[in-house]
Amino acid sequence: MFGHIVAFKQFRPSQGIWGSKWAGLDNFKFFFSSDDWIHVTVNTLFLNSMFIFFTLGIALILAIFLNEIRYALYKRLAQSVIFLPYFVSWLVVSFMTYAVFNTSDGILNKLLNAMGEGSYNWYGNANLWPYILTALFVWKMSGYVTIIFFSAITAISSEYYESATLDGAGRFQQILHITLPLLRPTLVVLLLLQIGRIFYGDFGMIYGIIGDNPILIPKTDVIDTYSFRALRSLGNFSMAGSVVLYQAVMGLITILFFNWIARKIDRESSLF
Amino acid sequence: MAFSNRLFSVAVYSFIAFFVVICAVPFWMVVVDSFASESSLQTAGYQLFPSEFSTYAYQYLFQGSQLWRSYSVTLVVTVVGTALSLLITSTMAYVMAHKKAKFGGLLSFMTYFTMIFGSGMVGFYILVAIWLGLKDSIWSMILPYLLNPFYAFILVAFYRTIPYEVNEAATIDGANEFTTFFRIIWPMTVPALATITLFYALQYWNDWYLAIMFVDNYHLHPLQIMIRQLIANMNMQSYLQGGNVSFDKPLPVKGVQLATVCVTIGPIILLYPFVQKYFVKGLTIGAVKG
Repeated sequence: MFGHIVAFKQFRPSQGIWGSKWAGLDNFKFFFSSDDWIHVTVNTLFLNSMFIFFTLGIALILAIFLNEIRYALYKRLAQSVIFLPYFVSWLVVSFMTYAVFNTSDGILNKLLNAMGEGSYNWYGNANLWPYILTALFVWKMSGYVTIIFFSAITAISSEYYESATLDGAGRFQQILHITLPLLRPTLVVLLLLQIGRIFYGDFGMIYGIIGDNPILIPKTDVIDTYSFRALRSLGNFSMAGSVVLYQAVMGLITILFFNWIARKIDRESSLF
Repeated sequence: MAFSNRLFSVAVYSFIAFFVVICAVPFWMVVVDSFASESSLQTAGYQLFPSEFSTYAYQYLFQGSQLWRSYSVTLVVTVVGTALSLLITSTMAYVMAHKKAKFGGLLSFMTYFTMIFGSGMVGFYILVAIWLGLKDSIWSMILPYLLNPFYAFILVAFYRTIPYEVNEAATIDGANEFTTFFRIIWPMTVPALATITLFYALQYWNDWYLAIMFVDNYHLHPLQIMIRQLIANMNMQSYLQGGNVSFDKPLPVKGVQLATVCVTIGPIILLYPFVQKYFVKGLTIGAVKG
């Protein structure tokens, strides 16, 4: 909390927090006077919404489908492989991404060449990257969420399904009318946890994969990478501090707002 | 009806199979290509079935000093970090869950509060780099992760399931607080502790945020940062060899990158079959507690 004071100072490491001059709101003026703050806010919100929507959606489908599989070995193996990407760091993912997408010898371009198409410069088109990043996020994280959903599904009493079968419901109808409604609380909790952090970009991911690539930064820079660059590359503590404080305030408002909404809809599913 | 059920089954099996292939292919590619010869990597690019086998990239990597340095940094950070965080998290959670301990509520509040309203990156940087003076120190990669509030609360929930009579019985039998905790409470919570230990170990092994924030000295680069340096491709030869560059051996650029990634994810993949169930258990606890 205390560190936020830096945002109102002209911080120099040699003078310490108290020794540095007060700067009033100058740091904020600097941040808000350029268009950067709009870009990074929009990017953060857009990327995180895509991540949340697709990861939860695909994990839900995966968990339900896994539950439909009757061969135990296939089920266990599939579960393990889907969970595996969660265990490697974003830098490793970044390397794999490069091996797939790079122009001269990436697997994707080799595939395109084999089909008679020309090579495409994936790293040259910033507009594609929000979608590529979403795909990568789904690749890495959906296994994690799948396991949460899957354990929630296995906790559902089998009596529901038995009586539904007696009533002549098909498997698809059982999913629609039993599994999905009973998964709703889990889904709501996960959704709330994620939305509460929607102003916090995934630094490890974005900086690991995009790094300082100037072509891709306009479409992929999030608040966290922006303030990191202000701090570590420019060495401007106070400017980074004002960005971080802006993020913390927005994040707090989001949490309170969505918690309030959750309590309106369903008292049980609010976080506090 | 039967037909639509069968159609549904086909959709289920193929969707899962598709996703499994997507998840597995990058791993396959990295491992297999690290054993491909550099010339085949240069001409044909990354492939799923390389034509020429070679271990040259590994030989080159192992003979340089940077890999061993980075490996020891990562190992030390992981082992020391995991051990310390297990100790701190479990003792902290025990106090928060303890009925008779003072300030338990205050501790919980402080843990929860800082989990939601941290000081942000800048305050964190000033604290670690300037006040604690840990810049370019191995402790800067260990200390900040010692207490993960989320794991602490999982443990608190776990300790609360142990009836307080256990403590009373131990006290009557003459055990002091330390004996009670380490000899009686710890063994009762082994499943939860194992899960948390593994989550911490994974976090330390995969972390590079702290390293990129606080460590500029390449002697202290962990494996993850080494991968990053190799991708950035600056002065790769002298970086790997640690100063004394021998130009008689050509540098297998791509091979070395692939081989470094493999030795980094190698331990995880080898241990994965044995530890996966603990991670699944950890997620399940988290899901139940919300």
